[in-house]
Order: sequence, then C-alpha cells, then structure tokens
Amino acid sequence: MKKIHLVAGLLLAGAVVLLVISSSDLGTYYTFAEAELLEDDRNVKIIGLLSKDKEMIYRPEIDPNRFTFYMTDEAGEERMVVLLSEKPQDFEMSEQLVLTGRFRDGVFVAREMLMKCPSKYQDEEIFVRSEI
Amino acid sequence: MNEIQYIGETLWPGRLGHFLIITGFVAALGSTVAYYLAEKERDKTNSNWLNTANWTFTIHGISIIGLMGIIFYVMLNRMYEYAYAFNHVSDDLPFKYMFSAFWEGQEGSFLLWIFWHIILGWILIWKAGEWKPAVMTFLSLIQVWLTSMILGTYLPFGNGESRIGINPTVLLREVQDAPIFANAEYLELISGSGLNILLQNYWMTIHPPTTFLGFAACAIPFCYALAALWRQDYRGWLKPGLKWGLFASFTLGTGILMGSAWAYEALTFGGYWAWDPVENMSLVPWLIMVAGVHTNLIARSTGHSIRATMIFYILTFCLVVYSTYLVRSGILEDTSVHAFTEMGLENQLVFFILFFLILGLVMFFRRYNSIPTPQKEEDWNSREFWMFVGAMVIVIGSALITWSTSLPVTNAIMQFFDPFYASRVIEDPISHYNRHQLWVGMLMAFLTGISIYMRYRGANWEHYKKKFFSQTGVALLLTAVLTWATIQWIQVVAWQYILLIFAALFAFIVNLDHVLFRIKGNLKASGSAMAHIGFAMMIIGIMASGINKTYISSNVFAQSGLLEGMEDEDLLSNIVLIKGEPIFMRGYIATYVGDRFDGPERSFDIEFTRIDEDGREVETFMLSPNVIYDKQFTKIEAANPDIRRQPVIDIFTRIARLPAQQIDLESAREVEDSLKFETYYMSLGDTTFTSKHFVVLEEIHHSILHPEREQGSQEDLALSLKLKVHSLDSDSAYTIVPGISLRGSFVFRYPEQIDPFNLRVQLSDTLIEDLFHSEIALDYSTFLVERGETFEFGGYDIKFVDVNQDPWHPSYEPQTDDIALSAILEVTNRLSSAQYRTEPLYLIRDTRQTNYKTMIPEAGLHFRFTRIDPNTGQMTFKVAEQPMKVENLPVQIAENVPRTDFIVLEAIRFEGLNFFWVGSSLMMLGLLFAMIVRIRSKM
Repeated sequence: MKKIHLVAGLLLAGAVVLLVISSSDLGTYYTFAEAELLEDDRNVKIIGLLSKDKEMIYRPEIDPNRFTFYMTDEAGEERMVVLLSEKPQDFEMSEQLVLTGRFRDGVFVAREMLMKCPSKYQDEEIFVRSEI
Repeated sequence: MNEIQYIGETLWPGRLGHFLIITGFVAALGSTVAYYLAEKERDKTNSNWLNTANWTFTIHGISIIGLMGIIFYVMLNRMYEYAYAFNHVSDDLPFKYMFSAFWEGQEGSFLLWIFWHIILGWILIWKAGEWKPAVMTFLSLIQVWLTSMILGTYLPFGNGESRIGINPTVLLREVQDAPIFANAEYLELISGSGLNILLQNYWMTIHPPTTFLGFAACAIPFCYALAALWRQDYRGWLKPGLKWGLFASFTLGTGILMGSAWAYEALTFGGYWAWDPVENMSLVPWLIMVAGVHTNLIARSTGHSIRATMIFYILTFCLVVYSTYLVRSGILEDTSVHAFTEMGLENQLVFFILFFLILGLVMFFRRYNSIPTPQKEEDWNSREFWMFVGAMVIVIGSALITWSTSLPVTNAIMQFFDPFYASRVIEDPISHYNRHQLWVGMLMAFLTGISIYMRYRGANWEHYKKKFFSQTGVALLLTAVLTWATIQWIQVVAWQYILLIFAALFAFIVNLDHVLFRIKGNLKASGSAMAHIGFAMMIIGIMASGINKTYISSNVFAQSGLLEGMEDEDLLSNIVLIKGEPIFMRGYIATYVGDRFDGPERSFDIEFTRIDEDGREVETFMLSPNVIYDKQFTKIEAANPDIRRQPVIDIFTRIARLPAQQIDLESAREVEDSLKFETYYMSLGDTTFTSKHFVVLEEIHHSILHPEREQGSQEDLALSLKLKVHSLDSDSAYTIVPGISLRGSFVFRYPEQIDPFNLRVQLSDTLIEDLFHSEIALDYSTFLVERGETFEFGGYDIKFVDVNQDPWHPSYEPQTDDIALSAILEVTNRLSSAQYRTEPLYLIRDTRQTNYKTMIPEAGLHFRFTRIDPNTGQMTFKVAEQPMKVENLPVQIAENVPRTDFIVLEAIRFEGLNFFWVGSSLMMLGLLFAMIVRIRSKM
C-alpha cells in the first residue's frame, strides 16, 4: 500500500468520525407538543405561522429583549412564544417563521428566529404610481 | 375578447432583445460545433474552422453584450412595460444603483456570468495558442447552457408551463395577470417597484461582478482539464491551468471577502460570516480550486498529482453550478437569509450540473489509466507528499461543508421517496460548522508550515534532514512562546482552540522565516508564503473575534423575565437608551444624545465613554447608527450599523428598535388611538389635578411657542398655553407650551409630550373656535399718530415711543427684501398705573401690505399697525378692547402614554477582527502575486 493511501485512509476515517459527531447537531423540525416533552436543555427548531390576530407584545422600556407573540405550528397548535430579542422589522408581514429555542416553564422561549417574508418576485400586486 | 391596443409601449427593445437572445444562443451552439471541428482538424493546415469558430464566438459575445445594453436602455428609460425594468428600477432610483439593479434579478446575474465568460473567452482566443480550439469547445458548450437560462422558450409538450430559461426582455403584461392590463393606458398608471433598499449599497455594485468573475474564472481550468483529457496531452495544460487557477482563486476569494465586508459593514447581524448556505456554497468551490492549485503546483514540479488536479478542477466547476442551483432554486428558503425564490429554473439547473459532472467524470475515467504518474511514489519527506495531504484536507473539509449545506437537498430527495420523511435541519449552524472546520483549519495550518521546510522529491534528504529538524524545532519553540502570549490576550480555555492557535502560529512563523531568511524578501517568490501568512493571521483573527465577541449592550440588571440559566445571558443583546440618560453597560457608559435627519436617513448619536477597572474614564467617542425611512416617511425600510474601527477593538452598534410611533404610520396611529385623553377646564393661574400629576396654567400666548413650529409659517390665529406640570410622586416638573393655530382653513395642533411622565397634552379644537369668533367680534378704533405722540383708548394712555427697524414678532419670519417695522407702544393703565409694552408689526412683502397683531392679554387690548403715510409720516394704529377668555380653557391630557425618547440598541465589541481582514487580504495579495509571477515567467 502506498503511504499516500494510508494518509488518505486516515483522513477519511477522521472525516467520518467528525461527520458522526456532528450529526448529533442535526434534528428534525419539532412541533410545540414534541418540544414540550423534551427533557434536556437542547434547542430545537419549530416551523409555524404567525397568528396575526393574536396579541404581540413588545415593551422595550420594560425589557428590550422580550417579544411575545403567538404562533401556530405545523400540527395546528397555537402557542405563545417568547423571543429573546427585539421585535423585528416588518414582523407582521411574515409568512413563515422558523424558531430556535426550547420550552421553559411551559412557554417556548426562542433565541433565534428566521422570518420568511413575501418576496417581491411573488408579489402579484402592481404598484400604482402614487400621486405625490 | 378583442386585442387591446396598448398606448405608450415601446416594443422595439423587446423584439431586438429577443432576436439577440436567439442569436446569442445559436451562435454559442455554432461556435461549440466549429471549435469541435477545428480541434478535429487541428493537424490540417488548410482548415478554416478555427477562424469560423472565433467569429461565431465573437457574434455570440456581441449579441449578449448588445442584449445587456438593451436591458440597461430599458431600465435607464424606466420602461415599465418591461418586467425587468418594473421589478428592479423605480422613478427615484439614482443612476449609481443602476448596475446593482441590473444584477439584482436572476436574469441579470446570469447575464453577468455569461458576460465574464465572453471576456475570458476573448482573452483565450487571443492568448491560448495551440490549446485554443479544445478549450474553447468546452467554454462554448458552457455558454450554450448558460444562455439557455435566459432563453424563455416554452416547451411544446407537458402542461405548457415548462419552459427553458427566463427571458429578461419579456413584457410585464406577458408575465403578470392583473386587471390593470384591461386598461389600454395602463403604463400611465404603473411605476417600478425599485431596488430593495438593503441592496442600495456600493458593495452591491462591486461584490456581484467580482464574485461572478471568480465563478466564470473557475470554468477555465475545468475547460483546460477536459481539453487535456480529450487530447491526451497531460502535461502541456498544467502551466496555463495553474495561471487560470490562481486567477480564479484570487477573483473568487476577493468576491467572497467583499461579501463578508459588506455583511459586517452594512448588515445588522453583527459579524462577517454566518455559515449561511449561500455563503458556504461560494466558499466550497474556492476551497477546491485552491486544492487544485496546490496539486497543479505539485504536478508542475514533480509530475505527481495530475489526476487529482483534473478531478479538483472538474469538481470546482460543477460545484459552482451546484452553488447556483442552491441559491436560485428556492430550496434554501427555510435555511438561508439570502436565497432567491423559485423561478422555475430548478430542473434546468439540475440538468446543467449533471451534464457537466457526467461529461467530466466520463472523460476522466475513460482516460484514467493513460494519465501518467511517476513510478516512484511520493516520499514522506518530500514537500509534494505533505502538500498533497493538505489538498486532501481541504477537499475533505469542503465535503463536510457541502454535506451539511446540502441538507435541504437530501430532505427533498428523501421526501420524494417517502412523503412522510421528517426534514432534518442543523440546530445551531455556527457551532456545527465550527466543530468540524476547527480540525480542518488546524491540519491545514500545520501542513502549510511543515511543507515549507520540505523539499520537492525530498531532494538530498540525508544531507538536509538535520537542518530540517533543527529549523522545525526552533519554529516549534517560538510558536509555543507566541501561543502562550496569544492565549493571555484572547483568554482561550478550550484545548482544541489552543491547538488551532498553535497550528496557525506555527504556519505564521515558518512562512515568515521563509520570506525573511530563505528567499530574503524576494517579492517574486513570496506569493505563496504571503498567502500562507495571511491564512495564519486569518485564523488568529477568527479565534480572537469569535471568542472575544461581547455584547456590551447587555444590561445585567435588567429584568430577567423567564431566564434562570446563565447561558442565555449573552444572548440578551439589546439595551434601552433613554435620551440624555447615561447607562452603564459592561465597561462603557452609553448616552443617547440625540438624533438628526438627513433626507430619509435618521442618525442617532450615541456617546460612549470607556471606563477602566478603577472606574476612570479612558476615552470618549461617538457612534451614529441610522435607520432609513421610505420617501414618504411612512415606515422604516432599513437600518445601518455604525462601527468604530480601531487596530485591536471594534465597536459595532445598530438600532434594534425604535418606539412604535416612529417605526411606521400604522403603529403611530395605533398608539395614537390607544391614548385616553381627558379634558380639563383650566383657568389662568389655576392648578388642576390629574391622576398622577398636577398642572398649573401659567401664561396664555397668542402665538405658537412650540419648538416644532415650521419656520416661516404664518398663523391667522394662534394660542399657546404655558403649563407647568408637576409629578405627584416626585419633585420634578416640566414646562410645556402646547398650542393650536389656524392657517387658512386648516387647524394645526402642537401637542406636547413629557416622556418621563408618560404624559401628553393637547389643546381642544374648541379653543380655536372661540378665538375665531372673538377676532371677528372685535371692534377696532383707528388712530393716526406721529412718533412721540400719546393717545387715549378706554382707560389707557398709549404712547407711540418709536419705530423699531429690527422688529421681532413670534409669527414673523424675516425674508430678504421685506420692509418690516414695528411700533413700540407704551401702554399705561390710568387707574392702576400698570405699564405694558407692545410692538405690533407692519410689513410690506412683494408690494403687499400686511400686519401682525399683538395683544396685551392682561389688559385685553389688541393692537394692529396697519399703515404708514409716506407723505406725512403718520402711522395708523387700530386698537380694540376685548377681555381675553382666561377661564375654563379646555385642555386635553392623556397619561400612560408610551415614551418616544428612547432607542433599543445593540452594541458588540470585537477584538482582533483586523487580523481577519489583514490576513485575508494578504492571502488574496499572495495569490495575485503568484499569478502575476506565473504569467510573466517564460517557463
């Protein structure tokens, strides 16, 4: 066997080990119900839709890192969510939310959120020239 | 339905554009065939195919560049009948963003990519010599595929929805179905939607072209590799392949770095790299290209690694296309912040990748056994051995990144077979990628160091090994010392990180030694060492800035709410700054001083004072992050951070949030509607109690005193109340001057807000009605008076003391060419001897005479200065008496009003980030140097 093959084999083995170790970083999207049952402190991701009719509270003067709103997950369950951050720009326009966080004391506490907003490419509306 | 004859459309650019697309596509096909035939007839002296092929390729190039010209023309002239113009420009888009708007869309960025291939193709036609026909065959073939992306032809089969490419010159009404198109004059009514405000940035002008030049350059070594396999000439291509490989590494690397710089400078996530799928997939082709450049070097020096070089170059190009697929297919929508949405090109892109991947791999493996390799294998003590290992490390690292990034693709594939398959997702991307790239970086850095001390083929090893071991030993010792010092600075604890820093510093020292003592600063030979030193510095920068990234804007005393665990403390990144109130936060005192407008841009000045451990002030500096409103000030469109850059420490600030009233009109209206005003009837001098405050009406003025009164506005009637508001709980008090005025038929309100009291005061509209009536009801008496005279009115003596040439009146804004005078009147109450002074104002502006009245509220006297007789010098005054209503004035007061005088700030302190920027720039410089030296050298 060539030496280079030996090294290549070692490197590949290393890569496989890394792959196996880091595969524990992979998870599936959870629902609220599943996430609530978790016993460890792991952060999970939940996909859902913003409940636009429900209350959204952001009172920066009290706590600038606390924004609460309601989201309906893919199983159709609607829960209150606390986002440990400011209320993002154009939040009401979001179509889909991906939250990263975990349950604490019966409330889903999200540390990160990805918003999907309607893209202008999909916008069927034709902008009418404004009067101004 | 009848065809509508639309009015105002300009149709020739669309027709010409479509013609150019077809010509460009056909010419690309033609030049592929012609170059193919030219290659086949390479040995024939009378073959004319090469000439034909060059011309056909040139026609392709001219067509595409012409097409780009047409699209620019359509965009510049705001021809909104064209979808591309409609979607990417607007009436107010400045010319400097025209290029950005051009490549904002998918079609435009494909054109940019095609454009660079054309330019590079022309360079090849000019310079590539005997390799020309073979290389250009493959480049033309790539052009066929790329041009098909903008073809926009619907396929004759299927549901009529399948099409090839998207035509950039299509009309808006052809792609969108809206009722407005029933109107023949629809063009009069529509206006472009413009360029996304986040992309209105100078980086958007230079980052995409550079990155696409890099992508385009990645195709050239690929074409050379395929050409070599076709010709079975495995050595001749290595020299041009290396030059182009270096060029591609330099341009693509620079493009990626520009993206990082843009992210750090203009975007709000506070960093330069987020392991976002789109970022990753531009990095991976670059990494493989760099691996290819290294094996190419080995092949040039020793004849080893020709196969590896070929496979790396093939992979690079296929990964470039794969990256395009990921970015443009919409598959990353859930995981990336900057992916395009679906445009129906997915399948075409998949065929594009598969075509070239299969073509490359089939050609490679059919020739596999005929590719020469030296009989003797690489020795473990040779430079090529460790360089090759390094290249393998890069490729394995890239494979890991690609695997993780492709998760949405594997999900889609799995779901194709099993609809119930639950999508897998990376829970924390940054730590996930860091976990494996840490080891990759460590090995790369270490190999970068050790291989420099080796020699190609292990030449003269017996003689040399003593030197090798002593050099390495000294370097390791130095590295250990430097690592210790670095750890003191960065405060690392994890042994993995320490190891990584050690490896990086080792690479740094060895390469520095190489530049200083081996090649003695010979710039020509220093390209690789420069790049490697840069790489080492980059790692140090990544470690320092990553480990020492602190949110200084976190207030440890804030309500912790739901938090118990300490781990989330670092996440709490925002702090509320109230105007004028200094807040202490992690080593700094921050004060929100004020804000200012510059057009739609609103900057917030925040003063930072750094405090050392003994509580002494070290330095003071100002940062001004801003937000940008839209043109009509209806909402905030974007926020820009402000960064204080210093050699070692960067302070990054951004506005995370503003009070609801200042975000958009809708929120402002919501807040307004939620206020509960109560009306209090107040009399002059009285004190009125509300639930948390008491208010004293101190003065009544017949002018607007409010600071926000527009300069130069002329009120017909005005009323302000000077109120002193006291808190019931504390000693604090504020004086405010809410007002109300009438201008023509419009009522203007000047409410006042006391943010610390959460209190808002406005005057009731009925006040202006009362005032209006009273002005009509006034019964003026007229007096003709000369200077110095006294006249009598009611119980008062009124003395016209003098004329004031430099008059002042609360409602009067001086303009040039005004003739304005005021009369100084001394008024004495005969009974009480109380004296007052007043100055009614007389004004001639543009030949029109007007006057501004004055009042003595206590006396209830109204004065007007209405005329000057130029002949006699007599002045006309009008005086009326009407005791002013000073009782039961309706004042509306709301309590529990949300404050408007704060900002929510995020501030991050980075350490050693400049190591990253300097290091990565040095790496690019090294690549550029190496490239220039290779291009110039004759060998």
